[in-house]
Order: sequence, then C-alpha cells, then structure tokens
Amino acid sequence: MDREHTIVGTRMTRTDSLAKVTGTASFTADVKLPRMLCAKVLRSPHPHAKIHHIDTSRALQLPGVKAIVTAADAHGVKWGVFKYTQDHPMIAIDRVRYIGEDVAGVAAVDEETALEALDLIQVEYEPLPAVFNPQDAMKEGAPLIHEEYANNINVHVHIEVGEVDKAFEQAHLVREDTFQAAGEAYSTLEPYAVVASYANGYLDLWMPNAGPHVRAKALSNLLKMPLNKVRVRRINVGGHFGARSEVSPGDLVTSLLAIKAKRPVKLVLTREENAACTRQIHDIKATIKTGVKKDGAIMAKEFRVVYDGGAYSSTGPIATSIPYYVYEEAYRFPNVRYNGYRVITNKGIRGMYGAHGRAFLGGNEMQLDMIARELGMDPMEIRLKNGLKVGEETATKSVIISGGLEEPIRRAAEQARWSEKRAKLKDGEGIGMGCVAIMCGFPMGFRSGSACYVKINDDGQATIVTGICDTGMGNESMAVQIASEVLGIPVEDINLVNADTETTNLDPGAYSQAASFVGGNAVKRACEEARRQILSFAAAKLNHPAEDLDLKDRTIISKTDPSKTMPMRWIVREAFFQGKPIAATGAYMPKIDFDREWVKKPYGQMAGTYSFGCSVAEVTVDKETGQIRIPHFVAAHDCGNPINPMAVEGQIEGSIHQAGVAVLTEETRWTEGQLLNPDLLEYKVPLACDMPEIETVIVRSNDPEGPFGAKEGGLTTRMNAYSAVVCAAHNALGVSLNEFPLTPDRVMKALDAAKGRK
Amino acid sequence: MERYKVKLQVNGETEELDVKPSETLLETLRDQLELTGAKEGCGLGACGSCTVLLDGIPTRSCIVLTAELDGSEVSTIEGLADGSQLDPLQESFMEKGAVQCGFCSPGMILTAKGLLDRNPEPSKKEIIRSVSSNLCRCTGYKKIIEAVETVTSTETTKA
Amino acid sequence: MITSKFEFKSPKDVKEAVHLYGEFQGEAVYLSGGTDLVPRIKLGLVKPKTVIDLKRVASLTRVEDQGDWIKIGSLARIFDLKRNDLIRDYFPVFEASLEATSCESLQMRGTIGGNLLQNSRCLFYNQSELWRGTKGFCLKMGGEACNAVPGAKRCFANYCSDNAPALCTLSAEIELSGPDEDRRLNLEGIYTNEAAKPFNLRPGEILTAIFIPKKQSTGGYEKLRVRDAIDYPLMSVAFSLVDGTGKLAVGAVGPKPYVVEIKTPLRGAIGEAVEAVLKQVRLVGNTVLEPEYRKRMIPVLAERLFNKIMEGAK
Repeated sequence: MDREHTIVGTRMTRTDSLAKVTGTASFTADVKLPRMLCAKVLRSPHPHAKIHHIDTSRALQLPGVKAIVTAADAHGVKWGVFKYTQDHPMIAIDRVRYIGEDVAGVAAVDEETALEALDLIQVEYEPLPAVFNPQDAMKEGAPLIHEEYANNINVHVHIEVGEVDKAFEQAHLVREDTFQAAGEAYSTLEPYAVVASYANGYLDLWMPNAGPHVRAKALSNLLKMPLNKVRVRRINVGGHFGARSEVSPGDLVTSLLAIKAKRPVKLVLTREENAACTRQIHDIKATIKTGVKKDGAIMAKEFRVVYDGGAYSSTGPIATSIPYYVYEEAYRFPNVRYNGYRVITNKGIRGMYGAHGRAFLGGNEMQLDMIARELGMDPMEIRLKNGLKVGEETATKSVIISGGLEEPIRRAAEQARWSEKRAKLKDGEGIGMGCVAIMCGFPMGFRSGSACYVKINDDGQATIVTGICDTGMGNESMAVQIASEVLGIPVEDINLVNADTETTNLDPGAYSQAASFVGGNAVKRACEEARRQILSFAAAKLNHPAEDLDLKDRTIISKTDPSKTMPMRWIVREAFFQGKPIAATGAYMPKIDFDREWVKKPYGQMAGTYSFGCSVAEVTVDKETGQIRIPHFVAAHDCGNPINPMAVEGQIEGSIHQAGVAVLTEETRWTEGQLLNPDLLEYKVPLACDMPEIETVIVRSNDPEGPFGAKEGGLTTRMNAYSAVVCAAHNALGVSLNEFPLTPDRVMKALDAAKGRK
Repeated sequence: MERYKVKLQVNGETEELDVKPSETLLETLRDQLELTGAKEGCGLGACGSCTVLLDGIPTRSCIVLTAELDGSEVSTIEGLADGSQLDPLQESFMEKGAVQCGFCSPGMILTAKGLLDRNPEPSKKEIIRSVSSNLCRCTGYKKIIEAVETVTSTETTKA
Repeated sequence: MITSKFEFKSPKDVKEAVHLYGEFQGEAVYLSGGTDLVPRIKLGLVKPKTVIDLKRVASLTRVEDQGDWIKIGSLARIFDLKRNDLIRDYFPVFEASLEATSCESLQMRGTIGGNLLQNSRCLFYNQSELWRGTKGFCLKMGGEACNAVPGAKRCFANYCSDNAPALCTLSAEIELSGPDEDRRLNLEGIYTNEAAKPFNLRPGEILTAIFIPKKQSTGGYEKLRVRDAIDYPLMSVAFSLVDGTGKLAVGAVGPKPYVVEIKTPLRGAIGEAVEAVLKQVRLVGNTVLEPEYRKRMIPVLAERLFNKIMEGAK
C-alpha cells in the first residue's frame, strides 16, 4: 500500500461508543441467563490462619441454596504465572494468607439467600502470627507464609551489567537516596464479577479480563478440563490498568459453583471486595545509587528495591523487574546492578499497574534532578545527555528500533515552554520533567504473538476475527480501523469478533502494551493477504496487472486508469464460484529473544520495539499547608504513528489523571492487614475539578515494525506523569521528597525535615 | 416482608411496581425493569455510576429507596435517545472521544444532561463543577468536558 | 443489597411523623435526602425497623423571612439554599459552606437538616459489617474499646458537617418537634460532645427548622480536603462578623464544632481564639491525612480566613 491513508490516522468515532452511550453495552454484571443463580464468597477474617475444618451442612439446608463449594471441590492445582511461582490454589485449602481470601462459595436463588447461607458456614480457624510489611517479613524468625519462600522472599531478580563498583569509584559524583511509596488501588469503576455457565461438558465464562486466552488456559489447568471446553467469552470491561490480567479466585469459585449446581451462576463483588480481594498494587521501597561523570553522563546505577507482594506470587518475577526495565529502556546505563525483592506479606495479592513502578521512576527522576543541580545542569539537559537513541541497546541488551528519548523531550519542552518558564518561576512554583520508555510486548512464550482471521462475506463485507482484547482503550475500534484501511471498505461494513477463546486465535491480550504493535500487526497482515487474494482475482477478471489495482470504497479500481473498476462483491462471489472464498490469516510474532527469562536470564531482546515519552508538569505549592496544585501539564508520547489520534490523546489524558494527579491524592491505607479505604470515598480518585489544563503532543517516529508505524498508545504518560509531578514538586519546594504520595502532610514533613525541625 | 406499591414514570412509561421497602432505585431499574444502563460502581453514593435523572435531577440511584418515589419520573440512559435520534450529548460524547471503557458514561451523560436542562449555557467552570459529581478512571475528564461544551451553543474554550 | 428489613412510612405532616415514630419506639429513623442515612443502612451501621420519610411534609422545605429571623425548613436542599438570595446577601459564610458541601449532585439531594444531623465519622467505623466484624465492634458500635486508638475508652469520631460550623458562627438556632412540646435552642446546644452519640435529640424529635438572626454579616468558610469536591472536610474553619463581633468555628476535628467568640476582632485576636480551640481538640489517626497535620492547619486556615474577612470588612 503506497497511497495516503484514508482512515488510519483519523479521529474516527470509536466503533464501541454507540452501545456505551445508549446503555446497551453489556458488562459482566449485566449478563442474565435463564435460571441463573446468585453467588457469594465466604472470606477469611484472618490475615494468617490454618483451616482445620469447614462445615457447610447447615448452609446447604437453607432453602434456595443450590450449591456450596470449597477447595474440596477443586483439584488441588496451584496457579502461578510461571512454573516456579505456582503457589495459589485460588480457593483456600488448609491455610488462609490474607483477610478476604476466598474460603467457600455459595450459589443460591437470590442474593439474600446467598448472604444468609454464608453466615451458616462454619470454619474452624487456627490463627497464626501474621506479618504486614516486607521489612518485618524478611527478618529472621518472621512467620513463614509459604514453605517454599525462605524469609518470605518470593522472587529475587538480580541484574548485573558491567563493573558497577569500579564505575562508582571513578564517578565524579555519586548520590544515594531511598524512596518509599504506598501502593495505589486500580479503582476500575466496574467491580469484579463473573458469570459461569456449564452445560454438556462446556464451561462458558464472562468476566472483566485483559486476555481471554490466558484466562481460559489458567482455568483449564485449575479445573482439569480440556482447554477447548473452557470458553471465555467477549464482554465489555469497565477499566483494567493491570487489574484484570490474570485469573482471579472468583473465576474458579464461580466455575465450580456452576458445575456443581448445573445452573449458570453470577458472582458480583462489592466495591470493598473488589479493593480488598482482587489484585492490588505493590508498595515499594527503593534505594537508588547513581554515579555520573562531570558532564552528567550516567556511569553506574545500583538499585535495591523491595516490593510488598502480598500473599501470593501473582505475576511475581515480572512485577519484580518491570519498574527497572522501563527505566533502563529510556536511559543509557553502562554499569548496572539491580536487586529486586518481591516479598510475601499477609495482605492482598499485588500485581502490576499501568506498566509498574511509577513511584520508583519518580524517585529516580528526582534524584537525577538533584544530580543535575549539583552539576549546574538543566534537568532537560541531563536527560538529553543520557537518553537512548535509535540503534542503541538497553543495559540488558534490547535494541531500540525507533524513536529514542530526544524528540519527546524536545517536543514536550517546547510545548511547555520549559526554558522560559524555568527562568521566571515565582516562590512556590515549580516545573518538572519525567521521562520513560515502554516495551511493546515482552516475552510470554508462544503467547507473545497474535493471529487474525478475516473472511469476506458474500456482500463484500468483512468479518475480522482476532484475539485482541479491549478493556476500554479502543483496541476493538483500532482493529476495525486497520481493516477498513487495508480492505478499502467502510467501517460499517466490518464486523468484529474478538476476545473469545472458542472463535478467536491467540493474542497476548491487553497486556504488555502489545495490542497495536502485535495484535494490530496481525490484523493488518490478515487483511493484506485477503486484499492480495481479491486483487489477484480482480486482475484476472479485469485483465489488468494486480500491482496497478487498488481497493477503495468497496471497489477495485485501477490506480492509473480510473475507468477500470469493479465492485468488490463481484470478485468475492467469483471467488466463491471458484471454490476459493476470500479468507485469510495473518500473524505477527514480535522479534524477541525467547531465551530471555525474568530471573534466570534477564538479558536479550525484551520487546519488539519501545515507545518513548516525556511529561512536563507545572505545580504551585502552598508552603504553609503543603498543598500542591497542578495548573498545567504537557505530555509528549511517541506512539510511532497514531492509528486514531483521538484515542491516543484519551490514553495520555487518562494517564495524567491516574499517574500525575494521583501523586497528590492516591494511597491505600492499612491497619493490620485490613484496608482502611476499600471504598471510593476515602480512596481519592481525582475528580474533574482536580485536573490540570492538559496539552498532549503526539510524536511520530514511524516504527519500522509496527502496523502503519504504530507502537503502543500512551503508556509512557501513565508512568512518567508521576515523575513529572514529583520533579516539579521538588523544584518548587527545594527539598528532597522521599515518601510518596505527596499528600500535604508528607510535604510538610519533608519541609520540616529540611529545616531540621523535629 | 411488607411490600410497597409505587407508581413510577420510567423513560416516559408508567410502571406499577411492587417493591421491598429496602429496595434501592438502582436495584429496581436493573433487576425488576432490566434497565442495566445504570451501573453499580460502589453502592454507597461515592462514584456516581448509578446516576439517573429523578424528576430532572441527576441522582445517585444506589442510595435512593424506590419506596420514596411514588409519582416520580425517572430517566435512564436507555430513555435518552428519541427512537434512533440520539440526544446531542450522546452524539458529542461519541464524537469527542469522551467514552473509553464506558462504565461511567451513562451516569456522566445524565449528570451533564441534568446540567444542560437547567442551564443551557454553562461556563466551563460550571461544567467542571457539575461533572465533578462523577468519577471516571479512564478519560481524565478532558474530553468529557469538551463533549459537554460542544452541545452548548457557544464553545467556551479550546484545549 | 440492604439486608435489614424495615417498613416504609410516608407521613404528610410533622405530627403524623412523630406519631409513627412513637409506634416504633427506638427502632425508627427519619429519612430526608438519605445521603447519610442510606449508606449507613447499607453498611449495617443502623438497622431500623421503620424508615419514616419526611420528604412529603411540604412545610419543611420553605425559606421564610420573618423580619428578625430567617427561617429555613430543615428539608430544604443544599443546592437550593446556596442559590437563595437571602442567604447570599446576608450570610456569606453559609453560602460558602453550602457550596463546599460534597458535590453538585449530592447537594441537589441532600437537605440542610440531614447535613446537620449527619452522624460522626471514622475510618474504623464507616465500614461494612463484614469489615467491622473482623476488628471487633468499637465503642461507637456499642463495643468495649476504640479501634482507631487501641486501648482508648472514648470515641474519637469526627462530626463532618460543613454547614454546622458556618451556622454556629451566625448564632443560629434550631427548632425541634417531638412527642412533647416543641423546643427551640441554640444550634450549639444540640451537641453532646460525645462522638459515639453526637446529638442531644429526644426520641422522636424532628429537626424542623433553622433560624438565623437576620443581620448583615461578612464571613467565609475554608475547608481542608484532598479533592476539590465530594470529600468531607478533614478540618474546616468558619468565621463571621456580625455587628462588629466575630465568631470562629472549627469543624471536623471532634464530635462538634468548636465555637469561640471574638469580641474585639482586631488583628492578632484570632491567635487567642485558635488557642482556645486547640486546647479542646484531640485529633487521632481516624481519617486520611495525619492528625498532627490536621491540627497544625487549624491556626493556618483560621488566620488566613480571619485576615481575609477583616481585610474585606474595611
């Protein structure tokens, strides 16, 4: 294809919007099936305890109760993302490890009966000593939460590149700082829910998920059912951001209930259960040591990071690494030592959040600013100095094939009037910059790639079948937009079948930032093959070279002689006649090193490509109250080429909310393993009135691999908005900020500490 | 348990309902009337996903007892379009990219509708104040505000 | 869902409402906007046997100019009151506190009576029954000890009405109608100073009206919170100047507003008033943001507000 794009690159109204604005879009809790039962889960009130006995007999006698399940109904299979992290039975067998852990499930004719039944289930617990923070958990003599993790250290990732100690000795300037951050909460607006329906050996499932194939596989293992009999169906998802990535206890409980009751079962979690009993986000404590040359070039970095992982592994090794990786993808580190420890504690299970480790990034970037200041350098200057360029490698040997950090920095700085504003800051004002690079896809074994199937129907309309999953960001629309461009037919002629494990092919899911780069590529290739088939038939029919034919507006048309045309549907029908219907598969596997492993071999090509981004935040600080405001925010994101610029802007804007303003407001608060704010009032999700004025800059680096040059659509901002605000606050306050989030009480503490008070 | 009779106008249609006193309007809409556009995001009135128009006022239906509403009018997202003719707000939300995951959208659109019905020419500040009643986790609110501004006859600001 | 089972009653006047309450002595609750009560019922913090809806009592929504007093019906909505000309002209502190209340949608639902009679709040208390059961019931729930402050024998829940401090600075009075004779008292008289049970209401009493002396005032309200809407105050200050005398009220830092008169509101007088408040309050870690910080902000916000009003009054 060598002409100007007609629809890719336009601000197309998303194909999923109509259903959503008319209230017809179904989310899991909206699904209703005949004879469906209501499920509730009995949860552990103890952070750590042995289970000696579960007596469900009284509950079973309650009229209206149709099934009760415990671990005895499961198969003793433990789940983990990797074979070496399989520690999670999903429904507690003989031990509970966090308050809220699933112990039993009830399916009844209505909610009231199910709740009543929960009260009738008797569990004999033997409480065990519990531990609630990693520092305590790692001490000698601390309660051991899993037999297999000595000192409760779940994962240790060690990365060593070059000669770190020598480099520090030679460095002109060395700084070491420690930062810590409370975990956030995803606060997806849709609380978790599952609908399971079992009949004739087939289990159908709906739940907010970020990749049905991964989900189905996990459940197939847990249920000891053949994979083809576990069908995860497409459903709208009310927000994800990492919360919906892997199999959840509710999936297993609801499936077991449906199988036992022989009726469909729906489980809807309350907001409290959603916060306390589904995935949470790691608290982090990081010690960062950086050595630089006189000109600001980074010589060495040493990291010791402790992640509060909660009670089970979840994505363990991935979560323990990603915060480091997104940083090494942005900057040149000739010598690095990274030690990441994911520690088990008696709290809910922690996973990744919009990549992961934004507070870690914030600490690093603020330290970089402090170093820059000591060297008399502008923070922008030091980032340009160290930013990776196309053709370079990250410290762990991934090659950058497009973009690089320079252009996003320059474009963001220009849009934000960085130099001008820095020069005339008043007291209490600050401006800060945050940078990051994000991997598009990463090693997930054979599931790293995507495949798409397209069939052209007899009226010349198309059905695209792809595993691409949309959790709200617009991936479905993107797939249709790509298909429309390649096939030359309007969007309304395209039907999309996606994210259904029975019908759609493997795809990484809305995970690891792969949807456009990997999934979109597969769609493009499938459509290109279909296009090739169509044009081949048309060439024969028109007696005209195929290379000179184009597809536009449902028509085959000669590029040089516009009088030579034929409706596409004639060719489609001709193809049917010849016994060769237009149907094509396309697949894309990113060019990554499949030997690379998170723990055993953390070196090699990690991802097919990287996006780059730079955010600039302006803040004003009230030094008497510690309150910070963000009047203005600029974010530049290199997405390669925006398939839908409006959708990319939407991602950037949402990221500024979730990672920028969140720096000031969001933290989970705990009391002995119990969440104090498992709700949406005391957990402070920013409101419209809390938002800055936003300007977005889309940088186009035209990735050589990405479909139409596209990379991922906005995740750099979901990480670097945090650092931009942290750096701006640091700039305004002039003191080190080592504890996040930057709620006003912490800001005052930091100001006091700097003054030497208390 | 005693049940309570309530006569409600829902999207222009009269519904004669038989409700438990403890039944919320959200439950009545979703379970009895099968209008699932209004969502339960938190159940405690903190997020606004359950917002409907109650006698024209944007109201969190999860903290209203249906028993309170005899003689009232309720408008849900399903009743906003006039047949196949979408409300201008629905059009603008789509065109401006103000809908991502869509979970907050019914409530958000109705909050905006309530605003425009009582104040057809709100300032940007008034729009922001109004939609600050509703949580959105996806959009960052910018395109939502733009979508509402588009429907007023004067666009008060750009970017 | 709400698991407690109750009857629903819809009286047409105050007398009928009070009579209904008497029928279900001790187990009935009055419902106005429901923005405080319904979440409490959902959390299992209150399990009424009867809910008596006051919203069909027409007399309770009116605002009347009575010459010496402005009378405000307790069921008037926050949103309507903040746009009322009498309130805007005479009582800027009240306009400010109404505007600061929650968010627009909840202002349109919530009533001034409900706002004043909202129950006190604590992170360890405003939780589901399941949550609270894990910790053991606290003092405010009728248990043995405080969960926010281990070992403490008194309750530290905070009373978070935005409008109460404002009205206290205006020397507002309230009218209560119950099974016995109606009573009218200073708003401050309604508080027990006990967070576990914050109000001095007799069984069956309905707050029917608020009376504000119709005197021109200047004043303002400042609210400490994390987000700019929805959030309850973490601390708030209200100040009014009426006939040359000032009144400061500090809210959300205990079971009632702390009110101090400033007879001669010269510059510096605020310090003394704040000291008087600081001596009385004891803040603990039962909200988001640290208690030491919230306490530290009392003089900061009070001084700023005082100076702003005094500056404007010149």
